[in-house]
Amino acid sequence: MKRYQFNEITTMQYIFLISGTQIGIGILSLPAQLADIANTDGWIAIVIGWIISIIASTIIIKTMKKHEQDTIFDLSRRYFGRIFGTFLHLAFVAYALLASITVVFTSIHITQVWVLPNTPNYLIMMLFMLPGFLITRNGVRVLGRYAEVVFYLTLWMPILIAVPLQKGTILHMLPMLKEGWAPIIQAVKTTVLSFLGFELAFVFYPFLKEKKHAVKAMVIANSISAFTFLLITITCFIFFSPDETPSLIWPTLSLLKTIEFSFIERFEVIFLSFYLFVMSTTGIPYIFTTVFGISQLIGKKDHTIVLLVAVCIFIFTSFLYNPSFSHIQTMGSWWERYGLWGAYFFPIGLFIYTSIARWFQGGKNK
Amino acid sequence: MMNGIQQTVTHSLDMNEQTLRDYFSKTPDLIYCHLFIGEPKRRALLIYLNTLVDKNSINNNIINPLLFETKQIHTIADIQLPIGSKSYTTKWEHVFQRVFQGETALFLDGDDHVLLLDTQGWPQRAIAEPQIESSLKGSHQGFIETCEKNIALIRRYLPHQQLKIEETTVGRRGHTPVVLLYLEDIAHPEVLQELKDRIEQIDVDTIVNTGELMQHIEDNPFSPFPQFLLTERPDAAVSNLLQGRIVIVVDRSPSVMIGPMTFITFFQTVDDYSTRWMIASFLRLLRLLAFFMAIFLPSAYIAALSFHYEIIPLNLLLTVGESRERVPLPPLLEAVLMELAIEMLREAGLRLPAPIGQTVGIVGGVVIGQAAVEAGIVSNIMVVIVSLTAIASFIIPNPDMSESIRLLRFPMMIAASLFGLVGMVIGFMLIIGHLISLESLGTPAGSPFAPARLRDWKDTLLRFPLWMMRTRPLSARPTQLTRQKKFRK
Repeated sequence: MKRYQFNEITTMQYIFLISGTQIGIGILSLPAQLADIANTDGWIAIVIGWIISIIASTIIIKTMKKHEQDTIFDLSRRYFGRIFGTFLHLAFVAYALLASITVVFTSIHITQVWVLPNTPNYLIMMLFMLPGFLITRNGVRVLGRYAEVVFYLTLWMPILIAVPLQKGTILHMLPMLKEGWAPIIQAVKTTVLSFLGFELAFVFYPFLKEKKHAVKAMVIANSISAFTFLLITITCFIFFSPDETPSLIWPTLSLLKTIEFSFIERFEVIFLSFYLFVMSTTGIPYIFTTVFGISQLIGKKDHTIVLLVAVCIFIFTSFLYNPSFSHIQTMGSWWERYGLWGAYFFPIGLFIYTSIARWFQGGKNK
Repeated sequence: MMNGIQQTVTHSLDMNEQTLRDYFSKTPDLIYCHLFIGEPKRRALLIYLNTLVDKNSINNNIINPLLFETKQIHTIADIQLPIGSKSYTTKWEHVFQRVFQGETALFLDGDDHVLLLDTQGWPQRAIAEPQIESSLKGSHQGFIETCEKNIALIRRYLPHQQLKIEETTVGRRGHTPVVLLYLEDIAHPEVLQELKDRIEQIDVDTIVNTGELMQHIEDNPFSPFPQFLLTERPDAAVSNLLQGRIVIVVDRSPSVMIGPMTFITFFQTVDDYSTRWMIASFLRLLRLLAFFMAIFLPSAYIAALSFHYEIIPLNLLLTVGESRERVPLPPLLEAVLMELAIEMLREAGLRLPAPIGQTVGIVGGVVIGQAAVEAGIVSNIMVVIVSLTAIASFIIPNPDMSESIRLLRFPMMIAASLFGLVGMVIGFMLIIGHLISLESLGTPAGSPFAPARLRDWKDTLLRFPLWMMRTRPLSARPTQLTRQKKFRK
């Protein structure tokens, strides 16, 4: 029986949904973090992180394949019983909530710093919640379509990176492996976290129409993200000197600041405004996951009411709390710590557990 | 059924006439024509609505032959008349309904059957060139207000047995005939059924125009965007029929409705297919650019002036500052004032008769173009922006879409004046979010972009050469995909 028949997404939408979730706020600071640990060899860490995330996402798909119509919320109940299953359910919701809070507040912070310095954060929050509500309300199908449109709409952005790439010095990249492999391995942890987003396959997989392409889709999605990360990181390394990159907070935006045309200046303002599209494809799937998870928990089919409450809470919170940059960094590091467990270790454990459980059940049936 | 009146016709002509006179009280245009026909003479009664019939046909084809009838007439079926369509009924309800549609009813004394004769002929204009959608290369025949003529115009393009025509009526008082046309082997049965169900559910007095029907059956009444195409061009209707869409002809209305539509189809015209593909593609891109300009140009100006003047290069900023020097209004007010003026001018020019309409144009041009600037009410650059926006919105070929776009401009301007570029981008997100969740008869309006159907992109941003468009667009959910196997035999 198909549970989500009227909410199916195509393979393409699935790819863009996953890669859209991966490419978000992380990319704005990734080059600096990498350069800090591994200097200009940081890009090698991205390649390694890419391979690891492909492995992890394949494991997720392998687990989900066992019950093609179930999300992680159904699976947890099925395998871990009522109490522990609910605990797991809540843990996943909490993870998605943490991720969405981080993404939303970071977006607000960046918008405030770079584009709208005089606008209070609650106004920006209200503004952000409008499309957030509109798109999340309509479920996975519209989420998929949205990710698709945004992908097409943002295709021009990487091309823009070519402008500073021309002015760079390729010698900054040399010598390779100047400090050996140790710092690169250390940097892998940072990149691995940039790839966070594929764990939402736990939720979106049952909505995928053609399940046989799922692994391929995950590989493509991770590759799109990896390509984008590599492009930005290498451009940053080439353009700024190796010592300059770690000192920048948002190296990607500093990179864009240098783009200037005769008819337009301060290009990063326009770029960043438009970058909200990319950030929305990161935030909205997490918000959806949170809301969807909660409505599953309380047994509601329609998630609109939960969404409405969530949006109100978000706006209300922004009235009382305006996170500083260090708070946002703390939030980000929590998310990363949580994500490391949720997206890399948990799937492996779940895969082993479900395999064993099925093996036992199979034995009983025989 | 009828209050106090029997349901069936009786044998007695006098009683029948009494029933008629009761029912059609205060209907001076109903003509009672008493005749003695046959050999021996028998009493007969001919009734018709003077205003809805072709009098020549009644005189020549009915009364004349009846008066010279010398045969013996036993029943009404014996009467032979030189007229194409005739039917018999015994039910009063049918008689009343048909007479109101311009048919003539013939009663014979001693017979409880009524002969209904097709004598329809109401005032109608000649087929003329479409007024709103003009085309350079398309046909110069436009739809008129008579359903049959409109179907004939479509039928001329598609003399094929798969073109099916289904008629229903809508409205309790008007009984407006609504005709569905579709190619049975192409149109998706589910879409057709959905459309029929929606039309059946309409319960109103009457619908006067196609636009009313459209609002009764559209998917999302809260959307600014049209979900059905209204056209007055038969060639456009046929082109859409061939793509698997369904055409709805409403009697008494000169425009037909076509569904299901997608967003991009409102940017296509019939001319696109008869011009060379490069030119057609250029025009398509121009229209899409116009779409963005018409929505975002004034708001971008407002955003740049009130929030992000740092993105404007210094030289340009000086020019802008100079032109805004004397203007006391903030950018938003300036823009809204001018946009409203333009909209009023447009509306005034539209409603007034053509000779006065021109005067409006000239007065508006002078006032807005020069006087307002010299008086220091608005700046030069704002005039340029507003004119560009107006022109951009007029390029959109579909009037419904063009109107939606003009409306969307205002919230965009407000968003831009409150939040600058961020407000604009959020507005854009909302438009996209709305468009991708919008549906037309259950098919997504955002197609072929979201959900992406790459095969359909041949006829969207660019119009590919005709020999490459071998398949029908998937967005209409046709059941038969292949349009042509090879371009040449």
